[in-house]
Amino acid sequence: SSPQDQYELYAVEMEKQDDGAMDVKIKKKKTTKAAKKKEKLENMKKEMDVDDHQLSVEDLELKYQTSVSKGLNSTWAGEILLRDGPNELKPPKGTPEYVKFARQLAGGLQCLMWVAAAICLIAFGIQCGQGDLTSADNLYLAIALIAVVVVTGCFGYYQEFKSTNIIASFKNLVPQQATVIRDGDKFQINANQLVVGDLVEIKGGDRVPADIRIITSQGCKVDNSSLTGESEPQTRAPECTHESPLETRNIAFFSTMCLEGTATGIIVNTGDRTIIGRIASLASGVENEKTPIAIEIEHFVDIIAGLAIFFGGTFFVVAMVIGYPFLKAMVFFMAIVVAYVPIRLWAVFQVCLSLTAKRLARKNCVVKNLEAVETLGSTSVICSDKTGTLTQNRMTVSHLWFDNQIHTADTTEDQSGQSFDQSSETWRALCKIVSLCNRAFFKSGQDNVPVPKRIVIGDASETALLKFSEITLGNVMEYRERYKKACEIPFNSTNKFQVTIHELEDPRDPRYLLVMKGAPERILERCATIMIKGQELPLDEQWKEAFQTAYMDLGGLGERVLGFCHLYLDPVQFPRGFSFDSEEMNFPTSGLCFAGLISMIDPPRATVPDAVMKCRTAGIRVIMVTGDHPITAKAIAASVGIISEGSETVEDIASRMRIPVEQVNKWEARACVVNGGQLKDMESEDLVEILKMHPEMVFARTSPQQKLIIVESCQKLGAIVAVTGDGVNDSPALKKADIGVAMGIAGSDAAKNAADMILLDDNFASIVTGVEQGRLIFDNLKKSIAYTLTKNIPELTPYLIYITVSVPLPLGCITILFIELCTDIFPSVSLAYEKAESDIMHLKPRNPRRDRLGDVALAVYSYFQIGAIQSFAGFTDYFTAMAQEGWFPLLCVGLRAQWENDHLQDVQDSYGQEWTFGQRLYQEYTCYTVFFISIEMCQILDVLIRKTRRLSVFQQGFFRNKILVIAIVFQLCLGCFLCYCPGMPNIFNFMPIRFQWWLVPLPFGILIFVYDEIRKLGVRRHPGSWWDKELYY
Amino acid sequence: MARGKAKEGDGNWKKFIWNSEKKEFLGRTGGSWFKILLFYLIFYGCLAGIFIGTIQVMLFTISEFEPKYQDRVAPPGLTLIPQVLKTEISFSISDPQSYGQYVEGLNKFLKNYDSDQQASDMIFDTCADKPDDYIMRGAFNNAQGQKKVCRFKREWLENCSGIADSSYGYRDGKPCVVVKLNRVLGFKPKPPLNESLPAEVMGKYNQYVMPVHCSAKKEEDADKVGPVEYYGMAGYAGFPLQYYPYYGKLLQPKYLQPLLAVQFTNLTYDTEVRVECKLYGENIGYSDKDRFQGRFEVKFDIKSS
Repeated sequence: SSPQDQYELYAVEMEKQDDGAMDVKIKKKKTTKAAKKKEKLENMKKEMDVDDHQLSVEDLELKYQTSVSKGLNSTWAGEILLRDGPNELKPPKGTPEYVKFARQLAGGLQCLMWVAAAICLIAFGIQCGQGDLTSADNLYLAIALIAVVVVTGCFGYYQEFKSTNIIASFKNLVPQQATVIRDGDKFQINANQLVVGDLVEIKGGDRVPADIRIITSQGCKVDNSSLTGESEPQTRAPECTHESPLETRNIAFFSTMCLEGTATGIIVNTGDRTIIGRIASLASGVENEKTPIAIEIEHFVDIIAGLAIFFGGTFFVVAMVIGYPFLKAMVFFMAIVVAYVPIRLWAVFQVCLSLTAKRLARKNCVVKNLEAVETLGSTSVICSDKTGTLTQNRMTVSHLWFDNQIHTADTTEDQSGQSFDQSSETWRALCKIVSLCNRAFFKSGQDNVPVPKRIVIGDASETALLKFSEITLGNVMEYRERYKKACEIPFNSTNKFQVTIHELEDPRDPRYLLVMKGAPERILERCATIMIKGQELPLDEQWKEAFQTAYMDLGGLGERVLGFCHLYLDPVQFPRGFSFDSEEMNFPTSGLCFAGLISMIDPPRATVPDAVMKCRTAGIRVIMVTGDHPITAKAIAASVGIISEGSETVEDIASRMRIPVEQVNKWEARACVVNGGQLKDMESEDLVEILKMHPEMVFARTSPQQKLIIVESCQKLGAIVAVTGDGVNDSPALKKADIGVAMGIAGSDAAKNAADMILLDDNFASIVTGVEQGRLIFDNLKKSIAYTLTKNIPELTPYLIYITVSVPLPLGCITILFIELCTDIFPSVSLAYEKAESDIMHLKPRNPRRDRLGDVALAVYSYFQIGAIQSFAGFTDYFTAMAQEGWFPLLCVGLRAQWENDHLQDVQDSYGQEWTFGQRLYQEYTCYTVFFISIEMCQILDVLIRKTRRLSVFQQGFFRNKILVIAIVFQLCLGCFLCYCPGMPNIFNFMPIRFQWWLVPLPFGILIFVYDEIRKLGVRRHPGSWWDKELYY
Repeated sequence: MARGKAKEGDGNWKKFIWNSEKKEFLGRTGGSWFKILLFYLIFYGCLAGIFIGTIQVMLFTISEFEPKYQDRVAPPGLTLIPQVLKTEISFSISDPQSYGQYVEGLNKFLKNYDSDQQASDMIFDTCADKPDDYIMRGAFNNAQGQKKVCRFKREWLENCSGIADSSYGYRDGKPCVVVKLNRVLGFKPKPPLNESLPAEVMGKYNQYVMPVHCSAKKEEDADKVGPVEYYGMAGYAGFPLQYYPYYGKLLQPKYLQPLLAVQFTNLTYDTEVRVECKLYGENIGYSDKDRFQGRFEVKFDIKSS
């Protein structure tokens, strides 16, 4: 048998002992025979006996038939892959399906229902034993209860199955990538395609894709805490330092995190054969923590269950007092308890979550745990990273200064913006410099790719310039070929400029062209003239001042500014074929002609300002936390609206009023830019104070540790904080946040691991979608709960009236069960499909401590107002049905004793007609049915009013939620079926009723609708009023 | 998602019930309670008003004299006097106490049929002494005042009338029961037409009589039941039609429904004998669920000692 099968029974614990030696303890999980245990232990030890770390590189190459320079041969790799299988852990043997199903049938409430069913069966048995075969009610009740448990169990199981699948499919959406070298070429492949012998590269932020023997390393450190519990980063280097494979430095283990540095290595083990793979216990899933919303729902169900048991108990006692037999009273009690406990809330919850997860996935948000969506909905602060999230993460030319004028370039992602006037001679010269004095180039074979998306080899600003000139000028690569490069001095930090010298395109022109770019002040130093409208003018003080102004302006925008100049070399001094020396610089580097300035920025994404605006209206604070320069950070913050128009920082106010910073009233400044240096000196109270004082915050030059502190401070203020991040060092903050959001493209594996949600397109706007969806879930759940609760009252009042006024029973137990567990389920689930109310993003985020899922206002409104109206509807219909058959309302009062006496076969009604017990019983069933229909009709209107909490239903649209419409139709059909299907009277106590009894509750239904519309109108018109406070749920 | 939720203290309960700082009882101040209770007073007031209003409107549409529907009450039930628990008549011949309740029940029921109760000619009508056709007394309203009622003489029940034998035969182990058809307003029972009736019923056929027949529930018990005597109007074992239709409590407050006495003269003692009495008619139905519709079952358990 294969080794991995054998190890599944074991958990391995590795402890670092005092002497530093690693001890491998093997714990047996299941008790099997001792001998067998020993044998397996031996096997385990043997497997652990890896010697790859002690082999020399040459031996390794031989052993794995690979090369440390070129890697494996791809075809050979394919064969190994076939042999060994993919490089992934076999999913741990999960709970068997039947156990999962059984669990669905054996929850607390389900057990209650089993007990109830058992009691019913016992009652039926006793009844049979007494030879009374007249009524099989108890049997049917038992069957109904069991059916309910099984059906809800199946539904729950199906939902669990579905959401497991959704989560699983999400995992495939964000596969782990690995850089592998095969046949001497670098590839990015999915990590599960790796095989033994592959040469792989890892860098900081990556997850180690397999067990790797390190070949080269540059400051590579890994986090082995998941394996050994050592929290300090461990250095990985090519040298073998210990004979134990777990101790030596030259093996990096599968699934550990590379924290910093880079390394290359040869894979020695993949998949289940890795060290981690053998430790089966580590592979088994982590227990799911309960999320706030899960707790919320549980809490709510508990309260309702408590209420139900209280009511049931009361009725039980009363029933015993008025002389019901014990068993009948018990069945009564059980029916009430079972009916009122909203077990299907979980179903609604699950449907809500999986629906939302799917919707989000369509919008490039992958949710790692579904409940996180709801948390996102209550988010009140988003700490967003700048680079990549708010911005496009690519330098783009944004402004140009030439001809003493600032021109704006197009920075949109799809080049849809306005361009500037390109007719000037100066522009032509500047453009030439930009194209030629540039080392970046396009990777070949991308002619069909739009320019902004092409892959460029070169640094960020050169890339920006290359793309800029490619767009404005056309084929730059060809252009460069026409101007042959004669000499080049690359950019370095001491010179702060870059020079190239080119032959001219025209072969008759013997001159050389020297082009230079660099830091603007350095460039200016070297210039004697300036080109204005194609004319070279001497660079006097006036122009220098103009230059300074432009430079300050562009720098103030937080942009990176470069200066450009050129010089046509004297053909006499530098004839064709002159040998330029880049070391000696045997050519003039001063007295040049200044052409212009170009500034670049990483521009904000087009969707971001809108999204930030949305957040703002939704009452969510967006705080920028970036490692970038404060000025840049502030500029971007201002351009995306994190610092809104007209908001000033303390420094802005100071400079406007020309007073020292200390004299400014800090409360006047809405915005604030704090840099890491200042943050370091702050106490955490100060930070909280600042966060309170300035609504618009930007943190620049922050370290990961500071990011964590910022998140904590926000949480201290009671905010629910969402954090976005992409780097390894963001993971603590991501973990600390109430909801961590990682970037799918730029994000490292570490960040993705720590996050609750992943944005596949790295787009901030997706977070807003997430917030909206989260709020929607909460809203819809609330609506569903309100709908579900309402009918408890019209189910309860019949018993109340029955016992206090002694009318014939208006509503039977089985009928209640049918309402609760059959007809009303679909509509309550359909509310999960309700679209957001249009103002959902105009409201403040909910306060998780005050604004609960099942709050008092909701219960009071549902129970005492809508529920009350429904009860009246039911009783009107009941008395109508009774009166039309001969029992006037006043006669009904006090009738119970006679009515239920099965020895009286000639009870007189209001007309003197004599009724047998059987006739009375069928009349009672008619009443049940009529009451049932009343509740159903009212519930149809109820589900309509529950579509919205604030808006008018007319604004929301009656038929936009197709599922809800189907649910209503379904409910009606089910009602008809129950009423008119033959055989129903004797099985489930439903009688065919007259058509007009369907219509009697309608006025009350309309009353419900109109009343709720009035309520909503009042809530909308008079926010904060008494009406709003008491009636808004 | 690492957030330690602050646990709410349990000490808040007392404060919730009475918060002395804010003068709040159960989370509301007095004024707030007043407002909300006033709101609910008005709310429920309106609801109750609407409810009573709709019930009143509904009652307007219903006649006092004629029920709107008779979906459940017709076809009528067939019931017996005395009313017995678990449809069982069980007594001991030698012990008058044991059948006292049956005699009592019969006495009480037949009191209305005494001739002195039927003296007033204002109320009672002398109908034919032999079975006759339905007597229609006009529309179901009080335009002509109350309707008259046919007399039914207790003497017609002969041995079971309780006049000659105040124990209705129970003393001799020959118990009587009185059979009646439940009153249903406007109901006109139709005598059977088809020939498939039991021979005993066909023997005394009259087109104006609803025949009743009692026999053993199970075939094999037939000899245990013995002969059955029927005492009704003019010796017919059934209900004569001239008593129908019934005009209801308001129009015929003194209505006497026709009776039929049945005496079992030779029941087997010391064993359970199940007897079923059945009414035959075109518009008479039977139901498995309602065992008093058009028929009934009674169990005799007479102890000889």
